Amino acid sequence: MRRALIGLSLALLAATALAQSPAAARLLFRDIGLEAGITFQHHSAPEKKYIVESMSGGVALFDYDNDGRVDIYFVDSLTVDTAQDPKAARSALYRNLGGGKFEDVTDKAGVGHPGWGMGVCTADVDGDGWTDLYVTALGPNHLYRNNHDGTFTDITERAGVAGGGWSAGCGFADYDRDGDLDLFVSRYVKVDLENLPEFGKGKTCEHRGIKVQCGPRGLPGMGDLLFQNDGSSRFTEVGAAAGVSDPRAYFGLGIAWFDSNGDGWPDLYVANDSTPSFLYVNQKNGTFKEVAFPMGVAVSEDGAEQGGMGLAVGDYDGSGRFSLFKTNFAEEYNNLYHNEGDHFTDVSFRSQTAASSLPYVGWGASFLDYDNDGLLDILAVNGHVYPQMDQARLGASAGYRQRKLLYHNRGEGRFEEVAAQFGPVLTDERVSRGLAVGDLDNDGRLDVVINDLDGRPQVLHNELAEHGNWLVVKLRGKGRNTDAIGAVVKVKAGTLSLMRLVQSGTSYISQEDMRRHFGLGAQTQAESVEVLWPDGTTSRRENVKANQQIEIRQE
Amino acid sequence: MRALRLLSLLLLLAAPAIGQTEQGKTQEAEARFQRALRANPALADVRQKLARLYLSQGKEDEAVVELRRAAETAPLARDLALKLAAVEQAAGHPALAERQLRSAIDRFHSVEALLQLARLQSSRKDAAGALESLGRARALAPNAEDVLSASAQVALAVRAPVPAILALEPLARMCPTVAQYPYLLGVALMQAGDTLAAAEPLQQAARLEPDRVLTLVALGLAFNGRKLYADAKPALLHALQLEPDNVEAVAALAEAEDGLGELADAEAHAQRALAAAGGHATANLVMGLVRMKQERYAEAREALERAVAGDPNSPKAHYQLSLAYARLGDEASARKHVELYQRRLAEIEERVAQLRTATGLSGGGGMRP
Repeated sequence: MRRALIGLSLALLAATALAQSPAAARLLFRDIGLEAGITFQHHSAPEKKYIVESMSGGVALFDYDNDGRVDIYFVDSLTVDTAQDPKAARSALYRNLGGGKFEDVTDKAGVGHPGWGMGVCTADVDGDGWTDLYVTALGPNHLYRNNHDGTFTDITERAGVAGGGWSAGCGFADYDRDGDLDLFVSRYVKVDLENLPEFGKGKTCEHRGIKVQCGPRGLPGMGDLLFQNDGSSRFTEVGAAAGVSDPRAYFGLGIAWFDSNGDGWPDLYVANDSTPSFLYVNQKNGTFKEVAFPMGVAVSEDGAEQGGMGLAVGDYDGSGRFSLFKTNFAEEYNNLYHNEGDHFTDVSFRSQTAASSLPYVGWGASFLDYDNDGLLDILAVNGHVYPQMDQARLGASAGYRQRKLLYHNRGEGRFEEVAAQFGPVLTDERVSRGLAVGDLDNDGRLDVVINDLDGRPQVLHNELAEHGNWLVVKLRGKGRNTDAIGAVVKVKAGTLSLMRLVQSGTSYISQEDMRRHFGLGAQTQAESVEVLWPDGTTSRRENVKANQQIEIRQE
Repeated sequence: MRALRLLSLLLLLAAPAIGQTEQGKTQEAEARFQRALRANPALADVRQKLARLYLSQGKEDEAVVELRRAAETAPLARDLALKLAAVEQAAGHPALAERQLRSAIDRFHSVEALLQLARLQSSRKDAAGALESLGRARALAPNAEDVLSASAQVALAVRAPVPAILALEPLARMCPTVAQYPYLLGVALMQAGDTLAAAEPLQQAARLEPDRVLTLVALGLAFNGRKLYADAKPALLHALQLEPDNVEAVAALAEAEDGLGELADAEAHAQRALAAAGGHATANLVMGLVRMKQERYAEAREALERAVAGDPNSPKAHYQLSLAYARLGDEASARKHVELYQRRLAEIEERVAQLRTATGLSGGGGMRP
């Protein structure tokens, strides 16, 4: 308690000093990518003449070798010029060696060339206790089965999950609650590389008076895919029968499986670009009902269709329900949809997350408690799709490279954008896409990994000196869903009532660390840790000390 | 032949009178014109000269009498035709006015007559005719400020934003110190549904005329349309300092406050606007939004119904109304208003696309309309 109080006093002092001296930046994140040995660079054509060159790439944080340290997988993409040479792009798997060092194990693992890569999600698909990797692509997607020895085998064909076309987001969930994990894949635009829409030709290929890439408007979209697992890691595409195939072919990107109405069954949200987004509510009979409009999560508050990109799911106000955060195109605004139980309310402006997002094209996003004060904050990364933006009349939009947005949760449903307090690591302008949050060094402070479209990625190590206590909960489900995807962890610590969801497929076509992190503020222990497993059973631990990782196994 | 001789004689009689007119001997000239006309009332040319004389003396009524009689026998000179057209229009004789204008257009290719005809057509709600006349005027004098300005005003009056924008864009460039042009350009862009583009010229107009209420209100509306509520609020507060009872400003301020999460202020201002204008669409919309946030859904539905009645083309009102019905459990009505909202949205997008095609203005590319 004494330590916590001292920590809190330090934090207050720091906040006071900050108020007195706005120029002084506190250290929150430090980019350790290069010193950690991460040399990956995402490939993309400099001019982005075609939309297929602007939308990659995802990043995944997962422990592929079960050594207790989170590893990193970056997705790379081809370009129109290199499309015929699959080796021109190299996705990369980095093994976390500990001590802030990573080793490129891509070649040994055999996961370097999934083609024109887009996004990534992970799950223990076959229930063997080792996490497998699914990579979406323009062209066939790839399911890499973990061989338990540092290598993977591409089992896409056998599993029947290649999909095809232009896939973007993905995520596993046991939607039919039969004990095994099913897979949803969102798809974006129908693209024929031999017959691409001509750069700058036509009204949907201009932006503010300059010629830009065409699309997605004006181009045909693609429907989405739901692969049902038959229990032996063989999948059947059932999207149409389940009611999630998107026959109108909206432009699907980020996806999130979560229980929107608290009935214990996974529902599905799909962020669509430039078209209304979808909320599919699970009907508990293998089908879904699309209810985004009546639930208030299809469009903006004024009914405008937005360019939905990335998603985050979290209970940021202790309501006991999961709310939604969605990133969008510039001059729209990022949505914060508060879950009211039987519907959602767009509280973006009220929560003060909207106005500061207007200039930016948002992508990866996450609810995270970066300072362990017990309140979920929000991080969103940005970057335009048109490099030509810098020559354009910008209006209210920022240029091609854009800063990040860090929203500190002030409580009572209000946030404050504080990125500038933490210096250039957050305010430097980049062209970011995928974002994944996790604890790379198991120190209880959440780190962030970002895959940038142009250039090297960012590995942001959390070095915040003044922070609260914490608890990390790792779940081990029984049966085939060993990651306990879909489980909800609830922690009670003093006045804090916290709730986290285990998800496959998060942020913008990325995968966060599935271990659940809780900032506890001044609380030195959690009175209770309760797990609601995907099959409806529960587990409970009491009086759990803070500042440790615990594992809870389903019995 | 005899008639010709007589005509020559009469002209000879009239000729000194003309000279005297030029020398200011108006009374004598008037007498001579009248004598000539008594001898031959069909002398239209002489009658026009007499009318011109009256006009120079400020004898408007006498001039009109002569002009009308002259017009019965022969086409009038360009300036007199325009004069008579204006008189006839003011007197509530639009057909007579139009006849004079068309005559001037046919004989002189008069740009002024075309503009006057467009105004006349506009006042008769003949939008197509007005736009056609404006097009002809701009073809004759594409860069004349008066033509562009009149074109814009008439186009705005007939709610034809595209030709208005086509006229105002060059005007705003040619006359960068005239606040009226960027103001009208902003209004035209908003009329076309392109609030994204409207803010910039309105900001320019507000810089040139910082205390003009109309500009400040339009700027506030444009900022609200772009969800820049924090920018809208000071413009609207300033407008209300200058004109405290401006209902548009009060309603727009309520919208900005709602956007900023200041619900109590939003509600108070919306109620104030509704006290002055019960059917005000924006004020009712804000009341609906506030009631939705207060979870008073039945009241929200009523306010939003009034908002829709006040502005049936507002997608936002239909969308929010669909949510109110959904919260009240009326799925059929919720669906109906989603459909209406989507139709209105499609109409606006189509209009903006047409606007951008017609004006050459570029939109947001494929990512955005």
